[in-house]
Amino acid sequence: MSGLLHHLPVMPIVVPLLAGALMLFLSEARRAARATIALTSMVVQLAVGGALLYLASDAAPHVWSEGIGVYRIGNWPSPFGIVLVVDRLSALMVTLGASLGFCVLVYTIARWDRPGQPFHSLLQFLMMGLNGAFLTGDLFNLFVFFEVLLAASYGLVLRGTGATRVKEGLHYIVVNLVASFMFLIGVSMVYGIAGTLNMAELTGRVAALSPADRALFDVGGAILGIAFLVKAGSWPLNLWLPGTYSVALAPIAASFAMLTKVGVYAVLRVGTLMSHDQAAASLLGPALFYIGLATLVAGTIGMLSALHLARLVSHSLIVSTGIMLAALGLGIESLTPPVLFYLIVSVLTSGAFFLLTGMTERTRARDSAIATAMHDEPRETPALPYYVAFGVREPDPYGTDEEVGVAIPAAMAFLGLMFVCCVLLVTGLPPLPGFVAKFTLLSTAIGEAAAAGMTKPVWVLTAAVLATGLAGAIALTRIGMSLFWTVTERTTPRLHVLEAAPVALLVLVCLTLGAAAGPVMGYLESTARSLHDPQTYIRTVLAAEAQLAEAHGASP
Amino acid sequence: MLLTLIVLLPFLGSVCAALLPANARNAESWLSGVVTVACMALVASLYPQVADGEVVRAIIPWLPQYGLTFYLRMDGYAWLFAMLVSLMGALVVLYARYYMSPEDPVPRFFSFLLAFMGAMLGIVLSGNLIQLVVFWELTSLTSFMLIAYWYHRPDARRGARMAMTVTVAGGLCLLLGALMLGEIVGSYDLDEVLAAGNGIREHPWYTPVLVLVLLGALTKSAQFPFHFWLPHAMAAPTPVSAYLHSAAMVKAGVFLLARLWPVLAGTDEWFWIVCSAGASTLLLGAFCATFQRDMKGVLAYSTISHLGLITLLLGMNTPLALVAAVFHMMNHATFKASLFMATGIVDHETGTRDLKKLCGLRYRMPVTATVAIVAASAMAGVPLLNGFLSKEMFFEESIIAGSESGLRFTLPAVATLAGVFSVAYSVRFIHQVFFGPPAEDLPRRPQEPTRGMIVPSALLVAACLLVGILPSRTVGPLLETSMRSILGPDLPAYRLAVWHGFTVPFYMSLVALTGGVALYVLLCFRKKTMVPTPLLSRLDAKRAFDVINVAIVRGAGRLARFLFSRRLQTQLLLIVLLALGVAVLPFLVTEWTRGDMPLTPPDPLFALLWIVGAACAIGAALQAKFHRLAALIMLGGAGLVTCLTFAWFSAPDLALTQIAVEVVTIVLFLLGLRWLPRRLAFDTVDRQTLRARARRTRDAIIAVTSGIGIAALSFAALTRPRQSRLAAFFFDRSVEEAGGRNVVNVILVDFRGFDTLGEITVVGIVALIVYALLRRFRPAPESIGVPRAQRDDVLQGALPERLDDPLPRGYMKIPAVLLALALPLVRVCLFCLLLPGPR
Repeated sequence: MSGLLHHLPVMPIVVPLLAGALMLFLSEARRAARATIALTSMVVQLAVGGALLYLASDAAPHVWSEGIGVYRIGNWPSPFGIVLVVDRLSALMVTLGASLGFCVLVYTIARWDRPGQPFHSLLQFLMMGLNGAFLTGDLFNLFVFFEVLLAASYGLVLRGTGATRVKEGLHYIVVNLVASFMFLIGVSMVYGIAGTLNMAELTGRVAALSPADRALFDVGGAILGIAFLVKAGSWPLNLWLPGTYSVALAPIAASFAMLTKVGVYAVLRVGTLMSHDQAAASLLGPALFYIGLATLVAGTIGMLSALHLARLVSHSLIVSTGIMLAALGLGIESLTPPVLFYLIVSVLTSGAFFLLTGMTERTRARDSAIATAMHDEPRETPALPYYVAFGVREPDPYGTDEEVGVAIPAAMAFLGLMFVCCVLLVTGLPPLPGFVAKFTLLSTAIGEAAAAGMTKPVWVLTAAVLATGLAGAIALTRIGMSLFWTVTERTTPRLHVLEAAPVALLVLVCLTLGAAAGPVMGYLESTARSLHDPQTYIRTVLAAEAQLAEAHGASP
Repeated sequence: MLLTLIVLLPFLGSVCAALLPANARNAESWLSGVVTVACMALVASLYPQVADGEVVRAIIPWLPQYGLTFYLRMDGYAWLFAMLVSLMGALVVLYARYYMSPEDPVPRFFSFLLAFMGAMLGIVLSGNLIQLVVFWELTSLTSFMLIAYWYHRPDARRGARMAMTVTVAGGLCLLLGALMLGEIVGSYDLDEVLAAGNGIREHPWYTPVLVLVLLGALTKSAQFPFHFWLPHAMAAPTPVSAYLHSAAMVKAGVFLLARLWPVLAGTDEWFWIVCSAGASTLLLGAFCATFQRDMKGVLAYSTISHLGLITLLLGMNTPLALVAAVFHMMNHATFKASLFMATGIVDHETGTRDLKKLCGLRYRMPVTATVAIVAASAMAGVPLLNGFLSKEMFFEESIIAGSESGLRFTLPAVATLAGVFSVAYSVRFIHQVFFGPPAEDLPRRPQEPTRGMIVPSALLVAACLLVGILPSRTVGPLLETSMRSILGPDLPAYRLAVWHGFTVPFYMSLVALTGGVALYVLLCFRKKTMVPTPLLSRLDAKRAFDVINVAIVRGAGRLARFLFSRRLQTQLLLIVLLALGVAVLPFLVTEWTRGDMPLTPPDPLFALLWIVGAACAIGAALQAKFHRLAALIMLGGAGLVTCLTFAWFSAPDLALTQIAVEVVTIVLFLLGLRWLPRRLAFDTVDRQTLRARARRTRDAIIAVTSGIGIAALSFAALTRPRQSRLAAFFFDRSVEEAGGRNVVNVILVDFRGFDTLGEITVVGIVALIVYALLRRFRPAPESIGVPRAQRDDVLQGALPERLDDPLPRGYMKIPAVLLALALPLVRVCLFCLLLPGPR
């Protein structure tokens, strides 16, 4: 292994850290320099993500045998030191995060990074936290990286002005601090009982626990699960989410689309490692299904109720969490690839959608009548039927069709097109990949239901997934119409190409994923296989340790 | 390859059309015209193959693991529909060129029209159920965009939303149905599905599958009780109504029913559900159509009624009825589209579609009148026109199916009654518009339209006549090919002929014709032609839709406010409760046991220390809301006890760290105190109400339980013997390999130095945020007054009255000087500490 290749796994953590720190030394006036550094770092992360993806997909077995890369920090042997482990899932998540991060960064360079706070640094630190969380193979280290990304997100969420933003931001901080506290309790319980923090070693230890110890361990696991669920935004632990995400600046909300998925990732990673043995499933077990379902339902209701696009997108994020958790909670292993596909699409879509809200909001800057009528305050639910409120008379029903339509300026056409794409992706309507995700999910679930006789949870989930798509379509049509088709005067927004391009790019990536669904699914299937049969993971992580421990023992 | 091109071409054309400039009406029409004609030619070129009974296929793998391939498949039936769709597309494009105003932004129109055509061709040519659903939803989407083409009109927006909501919901049902069907068969491949008829009908999932597929088909084809969206979709431009809402899209539902007829039909469930939906739609549509005031309204309800007729035929479970159904799909498309076009011409030339205003147009528009009269006669089922043939077949089948199912008189009666109404509204439609004295008060002086508008309509009418007069020469072979592809080689005997002799169906036709005319005359005589629909006019789908929509928003809003409380306390309570719940749960199964390690004997001094600490903590919690300073002091006390505990158990470094943390925290809190809102008095506000008291009690209980729980957990964990080999390893290696004697330090900076790096980053980030916040949150001095908490200081003269007044000289001078002196020293010390590292 050549040097650079060997150090590849740690790059996604070190690069943003250095970039973020470096930018602090530049004076505020040097925007270009900071943007260059930030972009370079993001591109490097993206490239490293791609390389990791390539290596993890078993394409280069001479580098990493079995597609799992283990990087020992400080070269300490495994259960003793901290290891970074790259397998298919983590490589995927790193790449996904870097893609979203890249788009968000380009978007912000247009104009969002003006006010001169350490925005770029914070974004880099956020990336560092994300990448660290995806790559680490150590439970406490996971906590540390959660802290890093949370700390950066605290700063990001407080950007911008306004009392609501500060209020929601502070709620976010408090809730997440409590969640971190839970995480810490969980980790210490796990360590206290199992005596290790290394996730790979944990599996073997759990199997060897006595029933009494096992109960204590389960408590630790469950408390950990609560912390993850707060992060993932599952109801009822997500009351803070719609408020915070919808008031955060558009690009920041977009980058947060990844944060909820960290929670899902953690559930998946720690869950499969802790409970792959047939012993009672820890980390919430079957309750996960009901939590996911509750999240799905709550998110759907939220979507229907939302009068602001940003709030609606936040709720759709909740729905996506709900779908993923409920599907994972069914305990059907073959559901994991569709869930992962859904996760990818959901991240990219919500990111694009949040970015889009930043641009659509500008169209209504002067549109005070609608702005107040649509304002997301409970009291101001629009009067029945909408157009009455806006002083537009119903035309003569027997009147003529002799009409002349309104031409759409190119900017609005672009926004409209992107909006439609995002709606299709979010609701999972055909023909965009959101549909592929939902279709694979449902067809697998129904297949399992058929194999096991009629199983109620599968049907409940199926119905819920379809219904939430419909509800999302209804809600988004309503909002889209008020955004794009209101009759009152509207300002055509000026779009910066740097803002428009990332949204288009994200949507394009989604479309590509949909077109290449076959190979993508193939990758995800092997990802799921290695997740549900973590023996290879464990063997690789610990084998490297054993070798090294011997070497260490011999060397002095 | 050709097949792929047929579906792809419209989509490519759609993209090109969207990119043309807004006023390029001619370029748009040429582009669309070329695309549609090319599609038509491609479809036509495949006829020889299809006529031989061959199935043309094109397969592109997409997601083979999940049985999803891009599979196009053309048999006779698909060919017939593909021809219909592309032919109608070409005619409508020609018509639209002259119909749309020169100022209209047509790129959007033609782009969506072509996209729709592509989607519709996709539906008819799909060889994969899921792919069919994909195209199905695409038609809903493009139809939404086309209905809302004049989106500045509220009725267009509403109509579009209504249509989309209904059809998308149906599409999702169809998706589920297709998924289940695929699961039963083991493949979504249409060939395999069609081959598995018996397996499907005998499967326990048959009824749910049937209901789901029917939900999809009936919503799309506007069948009762989902018919209400179609009249409102008439807000679309007339070419759209002619194409989507009479000829193509609404046929998708019945198309699918006929497509799946070999697998799903033949059971009692099918008969009862499909027939009742069809029959009720047939009657309801015909009845409503008789009383519409809007020309398009008449046509919309008549479309609903005719679709009901087709559905009813499909439900009858006989192959002959299926033939009649498919035949009528074609016939209806021709005469109805031509009628829509005529309506558009009238609208275009007179400026209104109101039957009350229109009158005597035959004088000024003889050609249009002729075309419309022939088309309307076909709709009414007048002999020598195509509508007569299929209606005759329908009457015949209603007799047969009626006698087989025990509805001996009901079905024929329903059919005849619907025929009566159908004749009545056709006569009314023609008579009101084209006969009578010439109308004087029209918005525009009527005249014949340009040739481009009349030609498509006239062509369709010519087709009606041709088929009506020479059925077996014209449509016969096509129908036979298509029926063979559904029913297999042995077709039922049917005869396409104008004259069958004096049969019962012929009498029924006679009854319908005379009855219809009589009904219209009666209505005219009693001046009832312009009344709102009797009995049904109070059921207003438009208003209901609005009300339901607002109710959904409001109801969801109310629920969402309950589900997503904006109060922080609620959220924290939920988190703590849930954590408590999951922590207790495992112990309902397993008993809680403490570890085996011996306990150290209790030390009274230490116990006292902890009692003080606990009292401090409880006091802090109790006073946090009312007396912040006191709460902070007690918090400090509790922290101090923690430090002492560390020291007591010989961990001086931890104790030192903890002290530093405690001091910094308390100092920061103290600094922040003055910005907090005015404090509440302990006794006045909160204590009196029962509710408040209950809440505080609840919180206290939860707090105590959680505290005890955490204590129990840590006790159980700490009393267990160390399992870990970590400690041993660290002790072994720290001197030799890490080069440090203080193991804790070595762990922090070497063994787990990565954690430390992360934590340092966290501290750095937080410092950065605090710095940014302090810079930004310093409010403009004139914008805020002195905080309440500071007012006492101001009153006492310690601070200036306004924030931007200079501070009194020497305020905080001593700390400033001390800090300035100390900081360099501190830096040097830190650097010295850094150099030797863990040693």
